[in-house]
Amino acid sequence: MSTNSLNYEGCNFLRQRLILATLSGRTVKIKKIRSKEDDPGLKDFEASFIRLLDTLTNGSKIVVSETGTNLLYQPGILIGGNFEHECNPQRSIGYFLEAIIALAPFTKKPIKAILRGVTNDQIDPTVDLIRLTTLPTLKKFLGTDEGVDIKINKRGAAPDGGGEVLFTCPCRQKLRPIQFIDPGKIKRIRGIAWAARVSPAVTNRMVDSARSILNKFLTDIYIYTDHVKGSQSGKSPGFGLTLVAETTNGAFLGAERSSSARGSGDQPSVPEDLGKETAKNLLEEIYRGGCVDSTNQSTTALFMALGQQDVSKILIGELTPYTIQFLRHVQDFFQLMFKVDPVPVTEEEEELNTGGEKLLLTCVGVGYSNVSKAIL
Amino acid sequence: MEDKEHKPYRPRAAGIKARKKKAKIETDDKEELTPKQRNPKAFAIQSIRKTEKTVRRTLDLNVKKQHIPLVDRTPIEPPPIVVAIVGPPKVGKTTLLKCLVKNYTRQNLSNVNGPITVVAGKKRRITFIECNNDINCMIDVGKIADLVLLMVDASFGFEMEQFEFLNICQVHGFPRIMGVLTHLDTFQENKQMRKTKKRLKNRFWTEIYQGAKLFYLSGMVYGEYQRMEIHNLCRFISVMKFRPLHWRTTHPYILADRMEDITGGELIRQNGKCDRKVCLYGYVRGTHMKNKQSIHIPGCGDFDINDIQATPDPCPTPDKIKKRSLNEKERMVYAPMAGVGGIVYDKDAVYIDVGGSHSYNLTEDSKPTNELVSNLMDMMNPVDEKMTTSKMSVFSGTQPMTADDTEDISYPLEERVEGSDGRIRRRAVFKDGDELNDDSGHEDGEDDDDDDDDDDEDEDEEDDSEDDVPPVKKSKVSKSNKEEEFAFADSDDDLEDELILKAMKLKKQNDDDDDDDDDDDDDDEMNEEDNGDDIEEEEIGQGLRWKSDLVEKAAASFKARQKGKINYRKLIYGEELGVADEEDKDGDELGGLFKVLKQKSDQTKNDRFSINKTDCSKYFPENPQDWSLEEVTASIKDCFITGQWSKDKDAKARLDLDDELYGDFEDLETGEKFTGPDGEKDDDDDGEKDDDGEDDEMKKDDKGEEDKPETERKKTKAEMTANERRTIRKERQKEAFDEQYDLKDDSAYYDSWKSDLDKQAKLNKAEFESMPDELRIQYEGYRPGLYVRIELHDIPCEFVTNFDPTYPVIIGGLQNVEGNVGFVQARFKKHRWYKKILKTRNPVIISLGWRRFQSMPLYSVQDHNFRQRLLKYTPEHLHCHAAFYGPITPQGTGLLAVESVAGREPGFRIAATGVVLELDKSLQIVKKLKLTGFPVKIYKKTAFIKGMFSSALEVAKFEGASLRTVSGLRGQIKKALRTPEGAFRATFEDKILRSDIVFVRTWCPVEVPEFYNPVTTLLLPRDQKKSWVGMRTLAQLRREKGIRLEQKADSIYKPVIRKNKIYKPLVIPRGLKKQLPFKAVPESLLRKKESSMKRVAVIKDKKEKKITNMMSMMQTLYSHKQQQKKIALKQAGEKRKKEIKKDEKKRNQRQKELKKEIFKQIGRSEKKKD
Repeated sequence: MSTNSLNYEGCNFLRQRLILATLSGRTVKIKKIRSKEDDPGLKDFEASFIRLLDTLTNGSKIVVSETGTNLLYQPGILIGGNFEHECNPQRSIGYFLEAIIALAPFTKKPIKAILRGVTNDQIDPTVDLIRLTTLPTLKKFLGTDEGVDIKINKRGAAPDGGGEVLFTCPCRQKLRPIQFIDPGKIKRIRGIAWAARVSPAVTNRMVDSARSILNKFLTDIYIYTDHVKGSQSGKSPGFGLTLVAETTNGAFLGAERSSSARGSGDQPSVPEDLGKETAKNLLEEIYRGGCVDSTNQSTTALFMALGQQDVSKILIGELTPYTIQFLRHVQDFFQLMFKVDPVPVTEEEEELNTGGEKLLLTCVGVGYSNVSKAIL
Repeated sequence: MEDKEHKPYRPRAAGIKARKKKAKIETDDKEELTPKQRNPKAFAIQSIRKTEKTVRRTLDLNVKKQHIPLVDRTPIEPPPIVVAIVGPPKVGKTTLLKCLVKNYTRQNLSNVNGPITVVAGKKRRITFIECNNDINCMIDVGKIADLVLLMVDASFGFEMEQFEFLNICQVHGFPRIMGVLTHLDTFQENKQMRKTKKRLKNRFWTEIYQGAKLFYLSGMVYGEYQRMEIHNLCRFISVMKFRPLHWRTTHPYILADRMEDITGGELIRQNGKCDRKVCLYGYVRGTHMKNKQSIHIPGCGDFDINDIQATPDPCPTPDKIKKRSLNEKERMVYAPMAGVGGIVYDKDAVYIDVGGSHSYNLTEDSKPTNELVSNLMDMMNPVDEKMTTSKMSVFSGTQPMTADDTEDISYPLEERVEGSDGRIRRRAVFKDGDELNDDSGHEDGEDDDDDDDDDDEDEDEEDDSEDDVPPVKKSKVSKSNKEEEFAFADSDDDLEDELILKAMKLKKQNDDDDDDDDDDDDDDEMNEEDNGDDIEEEEIGQGLRWKSDLVEKAAASFKARQKGKINYRKLIYGEELGVADEEDKDGDELGGLFKVLKQKSDQTKNDRFSINKTDCSKYFPENPQDWSLEEVTASIKDCFITGQWSKDKDAKARLDLDDELYGDFEDLETGEKFTGPDGEKDDDDDGEKDDDGEDDEMKKDDKGEEDKPETERKKTKAEMTANERRTIRKERQKEAFDEQYDLKDDSAYYDSWKSDLDKQAKLNKAEFESMPDELRIQYEGYRPGLYVRIELHDIPCEFVTNFDPTYPVIIGGLQNVEGNVGFVQARFKKHRWYKKILKTRNPVIISLGWRRFQSMPLYSVQDHNFRQRLLKYTPEHLHCHAAFYGPITPQGTGLLAVESVAGREPGFRIAATGVVLELDKSLQIVKKLKLTGFPVKIYKKTAFIKGMFSSALEVAKFEGASLRTVSGLRGQIKKALRTPEGAFRATFEDKILRSDIVFVRTWCPVEVPEFYNPVTTLLLPRDQKKSWVGMRTLAQLRREKGIRLEQKADSIYKPVIRKNKIYKPLVIPRGLKKQLPFKAVPESLLRKKESSMKRVAVIKDKKEKKITNMMSMMQTLYSHKQQQKKIALKQAGEKRKKEIKKDEKKRNQRQKELKKEIFKQIGRSEKKKD
């Protein structure tokens, strides 16, 4: 059996490495995790993530050294099914959910996961953003709308969390290749302004300020307000805004901001500023453009790579550092190189102001098939 | 005859004939109507049932024809098809192969060894392999053959091997099979032969399919088959079409046609059994092969590809296609193992084969070239390796440089993260030349030393052969020169691509080098320790180097975008080479040591920052744009539907186009009207708008009408009669209905699916077609059809020493997860022809995917509640599940089990077949376990049971479990008792007996033994290849060692001794007996007792005696007298009877005479009367 393992250093991109290791079945060794810091080793949220992987898989071997600076991960087989997970409140559920989404199509049983923790924070994509932008992308690869859903049962803002999210996803034997090279034009903007344990007026203030910027471009804007109270509102106060621009061809570009957490030492957020910031972020995202937004680039690239031995193509905006690193990791694990070409601008399009440079991401899938799912 | 212009035929244009013709044509037109149209009544539906049946049947037939469409992944230039010649020994395989090759190439093969590739046509190449009689070989060949020529000795008939092979094929995806009957000339009688042919054909057809092709090779001519027959066979082979087989379209594989051992001679000298480096050559088949992919060589083991390169095709299809047939030059044959074919291509060198069949024509002329070639062949290392290690000086008096040096100059970033042995290479530090001086110096020195060592032997050789090998040398010089040119060139865009290619080549070389300087690594490690952690941090290699300046790179990319194109390939995959670094380096040189150090410390800080940075997929741009500015907002203006559209999609432009096509229309919501170019119709419509308050549908009718020609359109709705309107509406509704339900083509869904896949296939072909090959390989992998050289490391030496070209060497590519081992669950069935049944946990040899391995399966069957219940043996004629520890292989892959591959046991060898269902890292298989106990105390329905469990805790675990007694009473475990330990209270449905045994049925999980043992037949010496024995069963071991099974004394059967039973007599009381009915009284009682009075003898006195005597005498006399009387009476009677008879006679006489007289008288009187 192939015993060669891949070696990495540092805790950055831990999720990418562990996900890809799980999917490719290769062993990964990670060394020097925060070895130079005052608080060396894996942090609680990373440990929580590893525990999540353990529940998702069967037969994995995870060895963490005593100091927590070294990690050995020998993947087992993806199981999925019904499970619950307490996500560490140091990171939001989005951190965990992104990984689950990457693995979900390849499990033995369809995933039905209840995740508890922080639903919205400033670092990671929030569950709202994942629901509005990542799920449509996932659906394109699965070829169905059925059973792909995120339901936010409770909201929980940073730092204490207390939120609860139900994620369901069917599993597949194979993914389908996609050719998505024309995002079309943005036809509408939707969004969610949420607030928990603060005044309900906050949501409206955010909506108004965001609209003040976006109305210059488009009139079809509708931002839902979601003010939760009581048991559904989690343990900490907070508010935030998620905006998603939908194009004529079904591409979703999202941006979001959340209020700074209580006790984080940052300036307290002002709803108006936050609304404007979010709107500007969305415009930035639109400027970058493409068929998926910057947050979902890596997930899309992963599903393209894991397709059949067919050519998949997608148009994206500028590559984020996270994606670049992800593409490198894909090469390490699957020996697959992506072809990244800037899209040549025709004379006709030269006159149009469509934002920044667009890239065409092309690859031939590795012919991945789900080995965990049983056939009858 | 002269060529003279003939007058052309002109048909009549006027007159009777023309008229007739015209009339005929007109009638013909009418007759063109189909019979159905002409006579619709005849085709009307007569019976609904019948129609339904016919419709259903046609639909069924249509659907039957459809197969699940697959993406066509065959490359433009496909690899040669593999034709395997299979059959038992002495059937004529080698003869056939020789004849086939001769037919294609006009060359005689002296010996047949390994695969033989020939060019069969303008687009087709064929690789022939001969399969020997080993079952291992048959299994391997069954997995790769595209076409099988199954040879049958007609004089003998089918043999087991052929059926075994057919079953092997069936399991591993059925390749095309053609039968070939030989030895037909041994038949004396023609009739006999015909019969045999027919019999064999029918059997063959039942095995494969009705009408499978079977060839007859009728006889031999000078030791060869008849030319025409072979020619016909070849024609069939060359037009054969192949189905894609699932396993082969998802896995790359190579049938190696050449093997080379490239291990250093010194290493072998030191240790003859050291692991070898081996080069294997062959065409990539199946799908794309990737570098560093893990592979499996059946019969050898799992490996990772160390290096793979595309080499020129040794047997190319001819370029020009305009000719009809191939010329002599293009009829190539390539069979390196068989020792034919002239030229052999390597990565950088060309070998001319001098061994094998050609070795004898060593003429004077050819001697020098042969020498050259044999020189080349004698070398231990291939030329490419040599080139990297050899030295040359560019300028006189300078230090000689190696290929490594050139790399250091021009491509310092080239080093890899991982060494060949999985160790992290530290040479990445040299990237910017900012390594500590002493360190690098030390390293350089090491390198040089190393090279010297390596080259010592080579140099000598080169000195000798320097004059002989000018081309090689020259090429090297030019190469290095070129490199330098590039190194100092500016970063013009046109050069970039070339640079990349060069870099890739160099990288490969570098990989080769890695192996050479293992010593360096050790030193490096030492240094690392010395220099402390800071340096360690810094020396992590390229992978981390990428991350070191991601942010800068991203920012740089942004800036670069404004200026011009940036190469994303370089940005991502880190082959950022060339001038930017070069310039830096120059700057460093000027700046000196201090600058270098400073930079370095910066970098370490960066590194530390980046490798342990927050892991987050969200991207916060470094310098967001100011969206309050007008020009910034203007830059995305056209991203929205409100913005400007490109011309082909611009709504307004398209609207104009539509108007031109369709004219005016009416907005139904607003009631607004838009007129097209012909605006005259306004008034008509206006009038009609008020008139009907009818539904939208009617309005739509209008709109639809507008498509109609002008004349019909004139009639507006107002003018139409109600009837007309209704018919229009009905038509419309029908259309809508049809669109949704029938009349749509039945295969619409199927067709769209198919066309989607076709589109995908076209895209797959077109996407990388225009790219240069090197780049294309990077993206796609090595596509099928390429001839590649694969370098493998750590191959067991036996592979080389025991190499036998008659055994195929297959390099089967493994997909990602398939390198791992886990528990495989398969649907499994004992073969109906196999004599024995299989026992659980007995080792069997399984062929699955590419692999052959021994494992110990557990057989189980699934109960209705999805419980996997263990079986001791496979069922006789049923499917069961088999769970074994083996390689993870995708579901749906077929598998095959044999109990032994060694020797030739009688009978059919394929023990079982199956298909993989599920893979996991753990399995739940249970076996039944009955726990028994005995009642201690019995109350009415409650009983205390002991002996079932050993502690109260165990009882607690089983509380509520259902019990049963042997007599069939059901019950339940209630609660543990204090004493005795393990006893419990249980209730039953009735009172149980003391003698009853109570049991509880439980399920106990069984573990699948983790035993996986690959069959390593390729590693065995030639004479032992057919005798691979893995783990043996206990029974086999016992038999071999002569150990008898120990039997328990009480398990042995003994004769049963039974005592006779003695019954007490039956006594019925007298009173009862009286009351008994007669029937119920036992017979013994009915029997009468014998009377006690016996007869008394009578003793007579004298007188009485006298009287008695007298009486008896008188009685005798009397009876005598009576008798006399009786006789006398009888006599008198007889006498009387006689007298009476006499008298009667007399009387009759008298009467006769009297009558006579009377009649006389009467006659006379009558006469008188007359």
